[in-house]
Amino acid sequence: MELYNLSGYELSKKLESKEISSKELTEDVFERIESVEGKVDAYVTLDKENALKKAAEVDEKRASGEKLSRLAGLPVGIKDNISTRNLRTTCSSKMLENYIPPFNATVMDKLNGEDIVITGKLNMDEFAMGSSTETSYFKKTKNPFDETRIPGGSSGGSAAAVSAGEAIMALGSDTGGSIRQPASYCGVVGLKPTYGAVSRFGLVAFASSLDQIGPIGRTVKDTAMLYSAICGFDKMDATSKNMSHPDYLVNLKSDVKGLRIGVPKEYFSKGIDENVKSAVLSAVKVLEQNGAVVKEVSLPSTEYALNAYYIISSAEASSNLARYDGVKYGYRAKDYDDLTDMYEKTRSEGFGDEVKRRIMLGTFVLSSGYYDAYYKKARLLQRRISKEFCDVFKEVDLLAAPTVPSTAFKIGENIDNPLKMYATDVCTVTINIAGLPAISVPCGYDEAGLPIGLQLISDKFNEQTLLNTAECYENIMGGFKRPVL
Amino acid sequence: MGIDIKHIAKLSRLYIEDEKVEKFESDMLGIVQMVENLPDVEDEPLLDPANPMTLREDKAEGGKYSRDELTRNAPHVTAGCLVVPKTVE
Repeated sequence: MELYNLSGYELSKKLESKEISSKELTEDVFERIESVEGKVDAYVTLDKENALKKAAEVDEKRASGEKLSRLAGLPVGIKDNISTRNLRTTCSSKMLENYIPPFNATVMDKLNGEDIVITGKLNMDEFAMGSSTETSYFKKTKNPFDETRIPGGSSGGSAAAVSAGEAIMALGSDTGGSIRQPASYCGVVGLKPTYGAVSRFGLVAFASSLDQIGPIGRTVKDTAMLYSAICGFDKMDATSKNMSHPDYLVNLKSDVKGLRIGVPKEYFSKGIDENVKSAVLSAVKVLEQNGAVVKEVSLPSTEYALNAYYIISSAEASSNLARYDGVKYGYRAKDYDDLTDMYEKTRSEGFGDEVKRRIMLGTFVLSSGYYDAYYKKARLLQRRISKEFCDVFKEVDLLAAPTVPSTAFKIGENIDNPLKMYATDVCTVTINIAGLPAISVPCGYDEAGLPIGLQLISDKFNEQTLLNTAECYENIMGGFKRPVL
Repeated sequence: MGIDIKHIAKLSRLYIEDEKVEKFESDMLGIVQMVENLPDVEDEPLLDPANPMTLREDKAEGGKYSRDELTRNAPHVTAGCLVVPKTVE
């Protein structure tokens, strides 16, 4: 049996009943990696030796009768901007090519506590800046549904690995759509949690007020299972919300009867491909036929969200990335005249062009004479966007929209045109700006067989409603369709 | 509006090679023209009173990592110290 094809939920049951062992499963996933990684290029670093060691440990614990978590023994891939103690964490940048964290991100401590098996570190856009995983210093990840196309980004390696069976589940991070957009392009499920729901401690910072770690799975159940394991308060993250979370898997209800779904008209206006629009509206119709109440709503400031996003995220990035100076860790230039020259050469040789563009944009919008016109205005708009969402959530329980305006584009198609690349984030950035949770779930395929994602958005800390609705839709429509590799 | 990419690069502690200046300048101009399209929004305090940050006590919780562990990623370490080019003559 090809175990890598099964969902994490099914595998968890098989592991628990001892029908299979974690060693057997982990070996099967690594065989799959060996057979398709040459085509997909999802991983920056593989950790087979430790993965097999961990799997054997889990099997021993289970054999001795120890009560284990439902994630125990499942092979999970980790985006390469999440710090893993003693396992290289590069952010897909030359700057951190040899960086080995001395500590774990809080999510990794939590997942290690659940006895997951780490397969390795997954490719991404450099420092999570990009929408196609093409800005990675190391390699270009391919879309498992069409290897001439991008997998999306920045968590492109995570989504592609899960889609291709190279990991059962994965962690990604989402600053402006970086979990949902690649999940949509690769036909898998991706959840961007509410800001503050998952600790950011140990997530290499891009834009601290927008970043969130989240799960990617082939099914909604897998996504709920992984999310339940990583959410929760952490004193190491000052923006972490001190609240209790339900068990999102146990509470999963495949039911939308009476659920009020809003369709924000601004998300279906110009620039959205007809096949995406029609697939998303058909999905909404299916939910309506199953008892949901659908109405059109309006979020008037949506058209400005992308602009505000690029100002705020780049401003924060320019400050966050000031730490890469060639002194404490990371790359240092070989030849320099003095300290300033060392900083400049180190950063110029260590960062790729997209990272430089964003640092310079951030520096520009924060610089004297421009702060009020750009950064302050964007932050005020952020407040207005959040208020518009608050008002809409008085009328409806959740919103349905496309995740991305089109299906996956060709490798190289947009890489020299930053504005075209940025426009692919138009449906996702608003949610980060407002700190809301959202999920992308597959809702169809275009004529070339490329996946389309339905994005469901809810009010803060209402992930359960998102997961329930996505689960209901997945149950009706049949769920994940495997790519042919 | 003009963009002086060399000046912004200097502020960002970056160095842009001469042959790349034109491309960076035109990309940056396009991006700035895109993002400056923002509506006028009434001024109000930007901090969210409903979501105050809870800061940890400013107290060292040491003992978890050795000096070697914390400096092992540094490009140049001598006698447990990070080495940088001379800044004072």
